[in-house]
Amino acid sequence: MTDAAIETEIAVDASGLPRLTPHTHPLWWGVLGAVAIEAAVVANLLTSYFYLMSQSETWPPAGIKPPDPFWATVVLCVLPLSSVTMWWAGRGSDADRKTQLAMGVTASVALASLALVFRWLQFAAFGVRWDEHAYGSILWAITGFHFTHVVSAILGTAVVAVLAWMDYFTSERQLGVVVDTLYWYFVAAVFLPIYLVLYWAPRWL
Amino acid sequence: MNDIDPALDLRARRTDPIHEELAEIERTWLSPPGFFGWFTHVNHTSIGLRFLVTSFAFFLIAGLLGLAMRLQLVTPLNDFLGPETYNQVMTVHGTAMMFLFAIPAVEGVAIYFVPLMIGARDLAFPRLSAFGYYIYLIGGTVFFASLFVGMAPAAGWFNYVPLSGPEYAEGRGVDIWVTMITFIEVSALTAAVELIVSIFKLRAPGMSLNRMPIFVWAALVMAFMIMFAMPSVIVASAMLTMDRLVDTQFFNPDLGGSPLLWQHLFWFFGHPEVYIILVPALGIVTTIVVTFTQRSVFGYTALVLAIVGVGMVSFGLWVHHMYATGLPLLGRSFFQAASSMIAIASGVQIYCWIATMWGARIRFDTPMLFVLGFFAIFVTGGLTGVMVASVPFDRQVHDTYFVVAHFHYVLVGGAVFPLLAGLYYWFPKVTGRMLHERLGKWSCGIAFVGFNLTFFPMHQLGLEGMPRRIYTYLPGLGWDFLNQLATVGAFVLAAGFALTFWNVFRSLRAGDAAPANPWHAPTLEWATTSPPLNCNFAEQIVVRSDQPIWDWERTGRRAVVGGMRIDRRETIVTTLLDARPQSVQILPTPTPWPFYSAVVLSVCFFGLIFSPWFYVAGIFGAFATFVFWFLPRRRSEVI
Repeated sequence: MTDAAIETEIAVDASGLPRLTPHTHPLWWGVLGAVAIEAAVVANLLTSYFYLMSQSETWPPAGIKPPDPFWATVVLCVLPLSSVTMWWAGRGSDADRKTQLAMGVTASVALASLALVFRWLQFAAFGVRWDEHAYGSILWAITGFHFTHVVSAILGTAVVAVLAWMDYFTSERQLGVVVDTLYWYFVAAVFLPIYLVLYWAPRWL
Repeated sequence: MNDIDPALDLRARRTDPIHEELAEIERTWLSPPGFFGWFTHVNHTSIGLRFLVTSFAFFLIAGLLGLAMRLQLVTPLNDFLGPETYNQVMTVHGTAMMFLFAIPAVEGVAIYFVPLMIGARDLAFPRLSAFGYYIYLIGGTVFFASLFVGMAPAAGWFNYVPLSGPEYAEGRGVDIWVTMITFIEVSALTAAVELIVSIFKLRAPGMSLNRMPIFVWAALVMAFMIMFAMPSVIVASAMLTMDRLVDTQFFNPDLGGSPLLWQHLFWFFGHPEVYIILVPALGIVTTIVVTFTQRSVFGYTALVLAIVGVGMVSFGLWVHHMYATGLPLLGRSFFQAASSMIAIASGVQIYCWIATMWGARIRFDTPMLFVLGFFAIFVTGGLTGVMVASVPFDRQVHDTYFVVAHFHYVLVGGAVFPLLAGLYYWFPKVTGRMLHERLGKWSCGIAFVGFNLTFFPMHQLGLEGMPRRIYTYLPGLGWDFLNQLATVGAFVLAAGFALTFWNVFRSLRAGDAAPANPWHAPTLEWATTSPPLNCNFAEQIVVRSDQPIWDWERTGRRAVVGGMRIDRRETIVTTLLDARPQSVQILPTPTPWPFYSAVVLSVCFFGLIFSPWFYVAGIFGAFATFVFWFLPRRRSEVI
């Protein structure tokens, strides 16, 4: 509606505003939203774990030992390490050091794939099937949920790695790197509460 | 008509003369015409409208199912619907009204109007909203189709275990229910993230948080509620799927599981869900009250805090659905107190509206009449709400028709009446034509009478002990007359709604042309043509108060943003609190990839009914389509 009686003035000139804003782009907030949703799912899963625990006389059920923490502890070290390489890759990207970016994300993918192998070994070491008891169900469900997230983070980062080796990103044009890193940190960090609950809650509580 | 540029063609019903520069930006933002073009639309006006049309179509079908139930209950031992059919009809009616009508309808209103109200050219992630729509359309269509082939779920909209578990619910009905829920979760969560980010980052320069229209606040609160409520139903429905598909034991008490876990998870979602529907309706009501009294809203800050408060407190109420499940006394007392607390926030809102209207010269057109209907019905529902929040009272009326009466007052009063008010209010904006005023008033009056005739007697039926969720009742219990009254009322109510449907249908072709700002509203959605330009605003606006349009009339001046490119889709990004200009976001052009992603995901969701391997297929299939979706743009397009 342009009313003839109303005078129009230009109060903001957008021609000089940046178009490429890897660190303040709305997509960064979007990924943060996705992270909030995933975190809420994890919170619900862990709450369900404690709820089922509170409903049982013995937890884990008689005859089943709490899961062996060895491989999980290894994963707990490997995932933060892969976050360090992600962070290092981001530093490279900010400074336009293309090789550092490409090597960093590739290293992260490799480390996380290694973590997947260890996670796989964990499944075998649970000593309980998902259909034997609700304890097994929730244990497998939470582990499987996190496993899926590591897989999806690896898939996404693999695409970033390919693009990085193809010399696609610059310090301005690296939104993909920034949001992928944010999601990566989440996938790595969320393992800590999962680890504490699945491996130590049945021992300590 | 065919040799005219399609961007100009759409302007046949718009009032502004078009100039050269506008033609180019309109071409940039054009949604491709034609059948195949339909699958590539990403503009929020297109997607928001689809959400609205689809949800009202589902409302119509679910409403007819409601009529079928009333016909069955009109006499004792009636055989219009058999017990199994009745259970299916009841389940589909409830589920569809909540998941396929109410949530998508309020999302649709928000998707359509939030960008216009905040002065943005589109939402932050246009392809994501398109994706959410296709997921919703596919999930909803299959869900209704299941009813017509007799495969529908029959365990109620809350789908309690063990009734819905592998032992008692054979067949595919519950699987279809769970799958449909998954679709709606995905669709609602995409809309939520989309709305939050757009409201945070895409507001017009100068629109600091305390100048946002109340409707935008309401949409923001709704989006946050979706974000934190939906995950618990994700977890619950995933557990039920696994119990049915791969024999996990989450809800099997023989092997350490707990049926009550379902109720906790479901109601931790289910109660906020009611407010997810209500909160945007409050925003619609406030918008209309402000416009029809031509005043600033009384107590802007108090009203915003009340809406935020409703959102927060609603997460602490879920146990009041579970008073009859043998919970500890302390727990019940806590939730009784929390449930009563919601009345405080609701009271603040009601008094803010009353104060706004007090002494004003109110314009009593159809939107305002529906708002007044909302006041009456919603306050009644709120009063019975305070009653059932009290444990001893609830234990008496639990599982009776009193509860049915209560939640229909809250939901129909709290959502349907405001949505219809919004329909009459914004129809001119969306279509460029006015709805017929006299038909609207009749529709409102008949629906109001019909509604009360249907649901008020149910209070009494409940107090007399008539249980809910039953397909028939015995003669001689004294319930016949009130049930007949309710059935008559249901048809009156349906006639009221039918008048509005007819009104929409006829006004689309024969309605009066709408003036630019027919209600003399203060907010930015009225600062463009009706229907809105493809780019929403020829020039993005700079805002100096919460009533920009009234300001322009007072001062005779308005401020706009210059320097935006018109050969690609650009919208301005501002800071979160003060909305200072920060950067410019380049938005994507039309693309079919969201549709392909939705199809791949749908196939895998439905596949999960039959085999767990579709989980793996879903991850990799969706990933493949996402790669094409996000394939980087050429360098020249983004610098």
